[in-house]
Amino acid sequence: MSKLSFRARALDAARPLPVYRRAELPQLTDCGFISRAVPQMPSGMDKDEELEHHLQRAMSAQQVFRERKENMVIPVPEAESNSTYYDRLYKGQVKVPKQLIHVQPLSLDLEQPDYDMDSEDETLLNRLNRKMDMKPLQFEIMVDRLEKASTHQEVSLAEAKRLLNEDDYLLKSVYDYWLRKRRNRCLIFQVKQENRDGSTNHHAYVAFRRRTEKMTTRKNRKNDEASYEKMLRLRREFSRTVTILEMIKKREKSKRELLHLTLEVVEKRYQLSDFNGDVLKTVALPLEEKAVYCAPVNVNNSSRHKTNVKAKMQKNQVSMREELTFDPTRPKNRCTKWERLFPPQRFPGRLPRAESIYRADVNQYDFHSSGEDEGNSTMVAQTPPTSDDENYPDGVFIFRRTDGCLYLSPRWDGGHVDIQPLHERHFLTKLSLSPDWMGLSRRRTGRGGRILLDRASCSLDSLLNQLDTYPGSWTRSRTVYPNEPVDLDQKLLMNSSSIPSLSQALKNIQTLRRCCFRPRPIQNQRITDSRTAGPSVEDRRFLDTPGSAGGITEEQYYSHQQQLMKMKKQQLEQLQYNEAMSRATAPLDHQRNQSHRSPESTSRTLDSVSAHFAASAVVSTSPSAQDALRPPKTTGVPNCPGASRSSYSTSSSVSGVGLLSIPKQQSQVGAVYPTHHHNIRPSAPPPSALKLATLAAKVIPVSGLPRDIDEPDRQLNGLSENTQPMEVT
Amino acid sequence: MVEIVEGCRLPVLRKNQENEDEWPLAEILSVKEVSARKLYYVHYIDFNKRLDEWVTSDRLDMKKLQFPKKEAKTPTKNGLPGSRPSSPEREVKRKVEPVPLAPQVSPVTPVPSLPSSAEASQAAVYPQNGTARRLIPSQPGRKRKANCGGTDEDSQDSSDGIPSAPRMTGSLVSDRSHDDIVTRMKNIECIELGRHRLKPWYFSPYPQELTALPILYLCEFCLKYLKSLKCLQRHLTKCNLRHPPGNEIYRKGTISFFEIDGRKNKTYSQNLCLIAKCFLDHKTLYYDTDPFLFYVMTEYDPKGFHIVGYFSKEKESTEDYNVACILTLPPYQRRGYGKLLIEFSYELSKVEGKTGTPEKPLSDLGLLSYRSYWSQTILEILMGLKPDNGERPQITINEISEITSVKKEDVISTLQYLNLINYYKGQYILTLSEDIVDGHERAMHKRHLRIDPKCLHFTPKDWSKRGKW
Repeated sequence: MSKLSFRARALDAARPLPVYRRAELPQLTDCGFISRAVPQMPSGMDKDEELEHHLQRAMSAQQVFRERKENMVIPVPEAESNSTYYDRLYKGQVKVPKQLIHVQPLSLDLEQPDYDMDSEDETLLNRLNRKMDMKPLQFEIMVDRLEKASTHQEVSLAEAKRLLNEDDYLLKSVYDYWLRKRRNRCLIFQVKQENRDGSTNHHAYVAFRRRTEKMTTRKNRKNDEASYEKMLRLRREFSRTVTILEMIKKREKSKRELLHLTLEVVEKRYQLSDFNGDVLKTVALPLEEKAVYCAPVNVNNSSRHKTNVKAKMQKNQVSMREELTFDPTRPKNRCTKWERLFPPQRFPGRLPRAESIYRADVNQYDFHSSGEDEGNSTMVAQTPPTSDDENYPDGVFIFRRTDGCLYLSPRWDGGHVDIQPLHERHFLTKLSLSPDWMGLSRRRTGRGGRILLDRASCSLDSLLNQLDTYPGSWTRSRTVYPNEPVDLDQKLLMNSSSIPSLSQALKNIQTLRRCCFRPRPIQNQRITDSRTAGPSVEDRRFLDTPGSAGGITEEQYYSHQQQLMKMKKQQLEQLQYNEAMSRATAPLDHQRNQSHRSPESTSRTLDSVSAHFAASAVVSTSPSAQDALRPPKTTGVPNCPGASRSSYSTSSSVSGVGLLSIPKQQSQVGAVYPTHHHNIRPSAPPPSALKLATLAAKVIPVSGLPRDIDEPDRQLNGLSENTQPMEVT
Repeated sequence: MVEIVEGCRLPVLRKNQENEDEWPLAEILSVKEVSARKLYYVHYIDFNKRLDEWVTSDRLDMKKLQFPKKEAKTPTKNGLPGSRPSSPEREVKRKVEPVPLAPQVSPVTPVPSLPSSAEASQAAVYPQNGTARRLIPSQPGRKRKANCGGTDEDSQDSSDGIPSAPRMTGSLVSDRSHDDIVTRMKNIECIELGRHRLKPWYFSPYPQELTALPILYLCEFCLKYLKSLKCLQRHLTKCNLRHPPGNEIYRKGTISFFEIDGRKNKTYSQNLCLIAKCFLDHKTLYYDTDPFLFYVMTEYDPKGFHIVGYFSKEKESTEDYNVACILTLPPYQRRGYGKLLIEFSYELSKVEGKTGTPEKPLSDLGLLSYRSYWSQTILEILMGLKPDNGERPQITINEISEITSVKKEDVISTLQYLNLINYYKGQYILTLSEDIVDGHERAMHKRHLRIDPKCLHFTPKDWSKRGKW
């Protein structure tokens, strides 16, 4: 055995093993078996069972005898194969088909009841069959349905009646019998199912639990995608098929209808003895007229609902005809159009039905049940027949409805084109700055947030002219012609960085502020500040004033003034309240903020010095105005190049007074500013305010005429351009 | 009179194959009373569970009664060899009655620890084999499966004692630690299937309502279970199957094979699994049948295609398994059908171009059948080798594996088992002894049933490219 002291090489599966017969190697018997080097392979059996008595005996027997011996096999429980009734039970004979048997999976699921009648049932059946004829299969189907309908609780008799379409007596007797027999346990025995809560994880009788998704391998993902697409396509095809079938159904129905109607017509004609068709002709005439309104319907989806549309066309024509005279229906019609143009999700809560159908049109594969087709087809038919370009030249700028807004149809009353008379849109205004002027004007926000004043001429102009005692009231001389922009340009340019001297600028701005932004106290009963808290005028640049000269009647003017009086009083009260702290008060927007003004928001009536002005311009610090003022830079350089530039570019055509909105000065005016409104707004540093002020002081005197404006504007432009790089730093 | 409770051990009378009386040691698994007579469910230690049975008290040798030892329980529970009886659930089920601590009847010394007793008996009877087996480090049963490649095995052994769900691949369990006493006892007395009456060997989760019946009736063709002959009669008027509900992929003579998809034909697959479980101890029915294919072997007579046996196969096996469960029904056993099933399974693997191995653990009968098949297959090849140009014939293990589709490890283990591998002049050789050659020739002479590959009409599907199986 010393031979085996060396370690044999491991067995190599790829190495050829020569095959010998034992007889050829007599010397091999000496060296014995070398099983040591070859690792012992496990038998693959459960370790416990490997030691079992019978197995060991059988294995050793095989080792010894090389074949099985009768008494060395592993004993197993016996099985008998001597059924006496087998042939009676399994009737009939089967021939072997020539071909291999191939089973179609679907053919296996024959609808047979799972319940099988037992002898107890047979007794009942026999009893029942004395009165009526009932097949065992029928009984089984009944019990099967009852069983399958009752999961935890038995179905009630009423439910059973719905379930089984059977004779009442039969139903009752089977139901009672079933209830008695069942007694809360299933009659169709099934392998115990798992509970989803996991309580049956180790229940011995629970089998065939569902596998969790853990089993899905990565490989399948791609496949899933592909099959999903296939399913989508399939669904689309199916829905198309359904549509076609629906159409056919509809067509056949209308064919039948036509037939009936024709029959009826013929009968009626017969009754009327209308044999040469005269009556028919007279009756048919209006029908032809109707056909005039048959507009071609644009349906994007060529394959869908074509017949539906046609079928509903008649219906739609009627409504369209009505729309021609009755305008308010139009928006509704439009909105379907819009829904076509823009995904309907933008209109949540509106016409949910229409939405779904719309989507169906787009995606094509939405499924419609036949019950839906009524609303369906009408919706499709409602789409305006005209093309987009004709009706909606705005393209992307088309008006879109916003949620929650109530849109009223415009009122048309006679020849009046204007919505409001002139005086309602314009207010008596006085400019307290150097181009002193008083008259009808209105305030609006221009590009870049500039505040513009549009002036209008009116019958009061001459009166106002007299009131205006300021020597330099040259602007009033300008007359306004009809059909021409009546507004005189007044521009107050807000920012520039050219400061002659800081102290002067400060002075300037202080005076400016004082005279510019304070409403005037009532001096003359008739001529007052005409500010109202009315709605801001619509976004219109030009105001056509045909016949505007006589726009204001005496009555209107008086009532207006009374309102103004009230407001003035309020202002005065507030003024007194704020007097102490409002040395350097900031101007306020009375027009806008009147309703929600805070106590500390300030506005002062003009003092006696400026009392000769009939009206005061109001400079707003409204949010829109403040928007124009960009967040201040740390450099303190104002940065409204856009504003100045735009003013330049529009100055020639647009008239307007750029009114100054002084940004909040942290040091001086911060406290008196209506912070509760605007505290989120950025505050501009003092230098910018100074610049603004100086500029305003400089510009205004020359900016009375449109032509004059160019020069300072250019100046401004240059300035703003200078400041532009600063912005970046 | 002492109370015999579950867990007691004592010699119980049983007849062996020679019809002689034996008194093997047995454990009482359950006690019940039927018409005032006590019946005991006994497991014969070191005998397969399939021989467990209900016995009357007159077959018990009360003189040698051993009471369950509390402390002995803990080690045995952990799966030491030979300790399979004792289940953790026993404590729950046990009545509260006090266990007599001082047994007057049995003067026997405390229970010998089972491993040693088993070892002793084994060593005495089968010294050669026994020692050979002992060389393998014996591991707790539950750990062993990990060697077979299950990667998620460890996660199952939840140390906190809360049993988790078993792994989802495969069809067999080796981890019996979660077994409760219910599954360790046969629950069905008798099954009638066609002409045959079968005595189940193991537990099977048929509906619990049906387990009390003396006979459970099965439709021979669709395998539906029915509670009475009348029901079966009624069922047969509606069931028109006369063959397994799948595609026939092989037919030669009266033998046919049908392929059934466990996902497409759930009812049949489940019914097949239920009856198979009656004869397969390690089979698990924990999960659904979806990832399996079932190959049912039938024998034709004018009444139809009668099921003889079947094997199941994972559609995608991560561990080269070409068979999951395999069973020849008891009436057809020991007639060569098992080998035919195995041969068929390897024919399928040959078509697939893969080598395969049966899923582990094998049963005793499975091991014997497979060893026999492997031996015959390999010997057939070795003996058929002809010397070419005077050179000694030689073959590699890989070649054998390729020719037969038997996995390399199985080839090696078979060669070892047959003692063919020898070391000679610095290299391994295969030596064919005369008794092996003779034995093989005799065995092959008896082996009539063979698979004819020409009769197989089978195209393997690439299940990984399909949806879920």
